[in-house]
Amino acid sequence: MEHVASHALEAVGAASTASGILWLIPFLPLFGFLINGLSGRRLKSNKVVDAIALGSVGISFLLAVYCFFQLVGLPENSRSLHQDLWTWFSLGGARVFGGLSTATVKWAYKFDVLSGAMTLLVTGAGFLIHLFSTGYMAEERNDGRYYRFMAYLNLFVFSMLNLVLGANILMMFLGWEGVGLCSYLLVGFYFDKEYAAVAAKKAFVTNRVGDFGFMIGFFLLIMLFGTLDYDTMMGMVRGVSGMQAITLFGHTATPTFWFNLIGCCLFVGAAGKSAQLPLYVWLPDAMAGPTPVSALIHAATMVTSGLYMITRLNFIYVQAPVALSLVLLVGSLTALFAATMGLAQYDIKKVLAYSTVSQLGFMFMGLGAGAFTAGMFHVFTHAAFKACLFLGSGSVIAACHHEQDMRNMGGLRKYMPWTFASMAIATVAIAGVPPFSGFFSKDEILWKVFEHGWKGEGSFYYFCWGMGMLAAFCTAFYMVRLMAMTFFGEYRGDGNDPFGLTVPSEAHHGADDHGHDDHLDHSDLAHADAHLDAHTDHGQLAPSHDDLTHGGHDAHGDHGHGPAEVPWNMWVPVFIFAALAAVFGFVNLPPSLGGGELFTKWLEPILYQVAPSGHHAAESIEYKLMGFAILWALSAMGLAWWMYGADESWSRAKAFVVRFPQVFEWVNAKYYVDEFYDAMVINPIKQLSAQLWSFDVWVLDGAVNGAARFTVILAEASNWFDAKVVDGLVNLVAWTLQQGAMGFKTLQSGKVQNYAFVMILGFLVFAFWKFLA
Amino acid sequence: MSGSTQLMLLATFLPLLGGLGLLFVPNEKREVFQKASVAIMVASFLLSVPLWFQYDRGSDAVQFAYQCAWMPSLGVKFSVGMDGISLLLWLLTTFIGPIGALCSWGNIDERWKEYYVWLLVLQTAMLAVFIAQDMFLFYIVWEVMLVPMYFLIGIWGGPQKLYAAIKLFLYTLAGSVLMLVAIFAIYFLQHKTSGVYDFSLAGFQAMAPVIAQQTKTFQILLALAFFLAFAIKVPMFPFHTWLPDAHVQAPTAGSVILAGILLKMGTYGFVRFLLPIVPEGTKELMPWFLALALIGVIYGALVAMIQKDMKKLVAYSSVSHLGLCMLGIFALNPWGMKGALFQMLNHGISTPGLFLAVGIVYERRHTRQIADYGGLSKTMPIYATIFMLMTMSSIGLPLLNGFIGEATILMGTFQTWPWVAVAATSGIILGAAYMLWMYQRVMFGPISEVNTKMEDLNLREITYFAPLLITAVWIGLYPKPFMDIMDKPVAKLIQQVRPDFYRAESLAMKQAEAAKVGMHAMEAPEGEGHQAKPEGHEAKPEGHGAETGAATPGGGH
Repeated sequence: MEHVASHALEAVGAASTASGILWLIPFLPLFGFLINGLSGRRLKSNKVVDAIALGSVGISFLLAVYCFFQLVGLPENSRSLHQDLWTWFSLGGARVFGGLSTATVKWAYKFDVLSGAMTLLVTGAGFLIHLFSTGYMAEERNDGRYYRFMAYLNLFVFSMLNLVLGANILMMFLGWEGVGLCSYLLVGFYFDKEYAAVAAKKAFVTNRVGDFGFMIGFFLLIMLFGTLDYDTMMGMVRGVSGMQAITLFGHTATPTFWFNLIGCCLFVGAAGKSAQLPLYVWLPDAMAGPTPVSALIHAATMVTSGLYMITRLNFIYVQAPVALSLVLLVGSLTALFAATMGLAQYDIKKVLAYSTVSQLGFMFMGLGAGAFTAGMFHVFTHAAFKACLFLGSGSVIAACHHEQDMRNMGGLRKYMPWTFASMAIATVAIAGVPPFSGFFSKDEILWKVFEHGWKGEGSFYYFCWGMGMLAAFCTAFYMVRLMAMTFFGEYRGDGNDPFGLTVPSEAHHGADDHGHDDHLDHSDLAHADAHLDAHTDHGQLAPSHDDLTHGGHDAHGDHGHGPAEVPWNMWVPVFIFAALAAVFGFVNLPPSLGGGELFTKWLEPILYQVAPSGHHAAESIEYKLMGFAILWALSAMGLAWWMYGADESWSRAKAFVVRFPQVFEWVNAKYYVDEFYDAMVINPIKQLSAQLWSFDVWVLDGAVNGAARFTVILAEASNWFDAKVVDGLVNLVAWTLQQGAMGFKTLQSGKVQNYAFVMILGFLVFAFWKFLA
Repeated sequence: MSGSTQLMLLATFLPLLGGLGLLFVPNEKREVFQKASVAIMVASFLLSVPLWFQYDRGSDAVQFAYQCAWMPSLGVKFSVGMDGISLLLWLLTTFIGPIGALCSWGNIDERWKEYYVWLLVLQTAMLAVFIAQDMFLFYIVWEVMLVPMYFLIGIWGGPQKLYAAIKLFLYTLAGSVLMLVAIFAIYFLQHKTSGVYDFSLAGFQAMAPVIAQQTKTFQILLALAFFLAFAIKVPMFPFHTWLPDAHVQAPTAGSVILAGILLKMGTYGFVRFLLPIVPEGTKELMPWFLALALIGVIYGALVAMIQKDMKKLVAYSSVSHLGLCMLGIFALNPWGMKGALFQMLNHGISTPGLFLAVGIVYERRHTRQIADYGGLSKTMPIYATIFMLMTMSSIGLPLLNGFIGEATILMGTFQTWPWVAVAATSGIILGAAYMLWMYQRVMFGPISEVNTKMEDLNLREITYFAPLLITAVWIGLYPKPFMDIMDKPVAKLIQQVRPDFYRAESLAMKQAEAAKVGMHAMEAPEGEGHQAKPEGHEAKPEGHGAETGAATPGGGH
C-alpha cells in the first residue's frame, strides 16, 4: 500500500462531483411509504394513495433522469455524483492491514455510471409496476389492504435505491436487507394463507444464509482496506494488488488469495439474493406474492442485486480468478438446472420463476467470464422482457379469475390482444431471436464464455458454454410452450375442454404451492364451477370500485364468462416493457454487427482495467456461433410449437411423459431439492434444537436444581446431625449432670438422722481404712 | 456539588423517595399508585435527560463526580459519578422505568401498593449501580437490587413464582459472593502495596499493574470470581437457566426490567470491573470465555427455535443476543466494545418491546403458547406492525437499532477472532429463523374464532411502545450521538486492556488520498505499470518475512 495508484493521482479533476438532490431519489419513495403507511387507513380515497405512491416513484424517476443527463455531460472518467448526508458509523480505530484505520461509514449516495443505470431501471420499472398494481390490486382496493400494498412497494423502492445508490458496502447492505424485508412483507401479503406466510419466511431465511457469506466478505474487505467506501477502495486497490504478500490474522498469502477468498464469500451473498444454486429455492415459492411483486422484486430489480454487487466490486473479482470461475460455474449450472425445471411446470408463474432463476444464471455466467458489461446488459434486457412476461401473466391470471394453471387457460390471444402481443414480443426476446434484445445480451454472454475456451484457457469454459447453450434451448422451449398453452388453441375454462386437458382448479383453495388467491370466501368451493362463482363475485364487486378509470372487472360483466382484456393501466405498462424488450438490444450492438457497444462503453469507467491480453478470437467464429445460436433457438421454439401449439391435444407431449415417466416426474417435482433440504438441513436443525432443549432442561437446569436439591439434602442431614449428634452431645452432658444431680439431690434431704447416719458411716470408713493401714 | 451532580443524585433517588411517600397512601387507592409511580418515573427520566447534554464528550474522565466519607476507617466512601458508558446505561434505566410502570396497570390486580413501591425501590437500586464509583457501595446496591426483584416475581408472578424468585435470588447471590471475595482480595492486596485502605473504583483500576505481577493462579482466580458473578447475571451459557424461569414467571414489568436493565448489569460488570482490573487474568482465560460466549450465541438461538412459550423464546433469544454482546467485549477492540455497548442498549430496547408485545396478548387471552394464536395481523393491525418492528429490530435489520450493534460487534470480533466471528455470524441466520417463525405462527395464517375477538392496542399501550419504537429507528438511522458519547471511555478502556493497540500507523491520510482518486484508478496503468502488474500477482515466498508481524492485527492470537 506504499503507493496509492500514483499514476491516477495525476488525472486532473475530481473523480466525483457533489450533488445536492441525490438524496431525494431514494427518500421520496420513503416519504411515500411513511405517508401511506401511517395514514393510509384513514385516507378516504384510494386515489390519494395512488397519487402518493406513484407520484413519489415517478418524481424519483424524473430526478434520476436529470442526474443521468448530468452524468452524460461530465468527462467519461469522472461520471460520478455523490452526496454525503451524515455519519452513520463512527467506531474509533480498527487494526487492519497496514495500520490503524479510523475511517467512518457515511450515509452517502453515489450516482455513477453503474448505479445511475440501475437507478433508472429501479425507478422506471418501479413506476410502471406501481401503475400496473393500481389495476391489478382491484379487489384489495376495497378491503382496506390496498394502502398497505402500495406502502410496501414504496418501501421496496426506497430500499432498492439504497442498495444501488449507497456509496459504501454498508449502505448496500442496508438496502440488501431492506429489500429482503420488503420481499418478506410482500410475499406474505396474503398472510392469512399459510403457504404465503411460509414462503415469506423461507425467502427471508434463505437470504440470511446468503447474507452470512456477504458479511464475512465485507469483514475481510475491512481487514484489507480499512474502509468500505467504494471510492476509497477503488483508489487503493491497485496498490493492494501490487503487493507481493499480504498478512492477515497471521496468515501470509498473495493478494490474489485474499481477493479470491473475498470474492467467494461475497458470491455466497449474491447467490442468496439472486437465487443461484444452491440457494435458489426461495424464489419459486416467492411467487405466492401478488404478481406485480413477482415482476418488480423477483424479476426486474431485487434479484439482480447480486449481479450489481459483483459488478460494483469488479476490481476485486477481476483479480480473483478462482472466485470468477466459481461464479461462472454456479451461473451456468443454475442456468441449465432451472431451465430444465421450467420445462415441466404448469403454473404460469412457476414457469416464469424458474425462467428467472435460469436467466440470472446467464447473467452470472457473463460476470464469471469477466464480461461484466455483458452480464449487466442482460440484467437490463431481462428486466424488460421478464417484467413484461410477469405482468402479462398477471393480466392473464386476473382475466382468468385467479387461475394460474396453464392447462385451464388456452386461446387467450383472441380475448387479450394487447397482452398477447406484448408477451409474444417478450417471448421471442427471451428465446434469443434477433433483433430482439434478449438475443444480443444472451449471445454476448455465451460468446464471451466461448471466447475464453477459444483462447485456450481450458475446456472448463467450453463445458460452461455447453450448459449455457442447453439452457438457452430449454428457455426457448418452455417459453413457446407457455405461450402455446396460454394463448393458443381454444379457451379451456368454463368447462370447454374437448381434449381432457384441464385439471381441477387450485385457484380457489390454498394449495401449498399456488400463489395468488385472495378469495377468502371461496376456499372450500368445488373446482369445476369455481370460475362461475368467482366471476359472479367480481360482478358484484365491480360497481363498488371507487376508481372508475379502469374497467378491469367491470369488463367481465359485459363479456359473460370469457376472459377479457385488462384495463389500460395494466396493459400499457406491459406494452411499454415489451417495446423496450424489442428495441433495447440496439443499445449495446456489438462491433461485429456494426454497433457501437454504447452500454459497454458507458460502464467502462468503473471497470477495473488490466492490460489488454492482445489476441481476440476471430470474428468469423463469432458470426458462426451467432448463426448457430439463432438456429438453435428457432429449433427449440419449433419443437415446442410442434408439441404444444400445432397439436391442440398435446398428444406428443403426453406420449413423451408416458415414454419417460421418471424424467417427467423428477423434473416436475423440481428434482426434490426442497425435500432434500428439509431432510438434510431443516429437520436436523430442528432435532438438534430439541436435543439441546432437553440438554438445557435435564442437564444444565438439572445441575442447578440438583445443586439446590443437594443443598436441601445436606441441610436435612445437618439438621439430623445437629439434632441427634451435636445437640445430642449437649443434651448428654445436661442429662449426665442432671442424673448426677438427681443422685446427689437425695443427699440433701435436710433430715438430721440422715446426716448423723452419713457422719457415722464416714467415721466408720475412715477408721476402717486407718486400721487397715 | 455541581448542579449536574445534584440532578444525577436527584434522578437516582427520586424513585426511592417517591416509593417511601407512597407508603402513606391508603391501600385501596389503586389509581393513585398507578399514576404516581408513572409520574415519578417520568420525572426521574426528565431529570436525567439534561445530563445527556451536559456530558463532556471530549473527556474520558468520570464526570458529575461526588464523594463523601462514609466509613473512613475502612476506606469506604459514598462516591458517585459517570462516564459515557455508565451514562448510556443509566439513561436506559430511567427510560425503561416509566414503561415498566405503565405496562403494569392492566395486569397487577392485587397488592398494588407494595408492587409499585417495590418497583420504585428497584429503580433506584439499578440507577445506583450505574453511578457507583466505590466498590463497597457498588456491591451493596448490586445486592440490594435483588430484593425488590425477588418480591416482584415472588408475589406477582405466575404459577411457579416462588421457585423462579428463589432461583434468581440464590443463583445471583452465589456469584456475587465470589465477587465479594475477589473485591476483598484486591482490597487487602492494595493495603499491602500502598498501605491504605481504599474501596474506590479508580483505586481498584489502578491496581491492574500490581495484580499483573502476582502469580498466575491468583490472577486467574480473581478473574474467575468476577467472571462468575457477571456471567451469571448476563447470563452466559451455561449459567443461564434461571433466566427463562424468571422471565416466564415474572409479571410483564418484571420481564421488561429484567431484560432491559438487569441483564445489562452483568455486561456492564465485565466492561467496568473485570477488564480494567484484571486484564491479564482475563486474557489467560480468554479462550474459555470466548467459547462460552460463542456457544451462548448459537445454543441460545437453537433452543429458542423450538420453544412453545413466547416468553421462553424471547428469554432464550436474550441468551443468544447477550452472548454476542460478550463476544464484542472480548474482542478487546473499539469496534467490538462499542458494538457490545450498543447491543446492550439495543437489547434494552427491543427485548422489552418483545416482552411487552407478549404481555399484550397474555393480558387478553391469558396464554403465552404460540400454538394458541395465529392470524392476529387480521384483527390487530397496529399490534402486528409494532410486533414486526420489534422483531426486525431484534434480528438486526438495518434502519433499526439492532443492526448497528450486531454488525459492529461482528466486524469488531472479526478483527481479533476471525473464526469466532464467522461462527457467530451464522447465529444471525438462526436469529431470523426463530423470530420469523414465531411471528408467522402468531401473526400470520388463518385466525381462530377466539382470537378474532382480541382487541387492538389502546392508547396506553401505544404510549409505552412509542418511545421504544422512536428510539429504535433513531439509533438505526443516526447512531452517531450514542457512538460519540462512548468514544472516549471506550478508547480509555482499550488503552487499559491493550496498551499497544493504538500504536500503529494511521491510515487516514492514505484513505483520504485514495478516496480522491476513486474511479480514476480503474484505468489501466500505463508505462511501467504494465510490467509491474503481472509480477505483483505472483507469489514471492521470500518477500513474506518482511510483512509478517508488522501487519498482523489484533495480536491476541
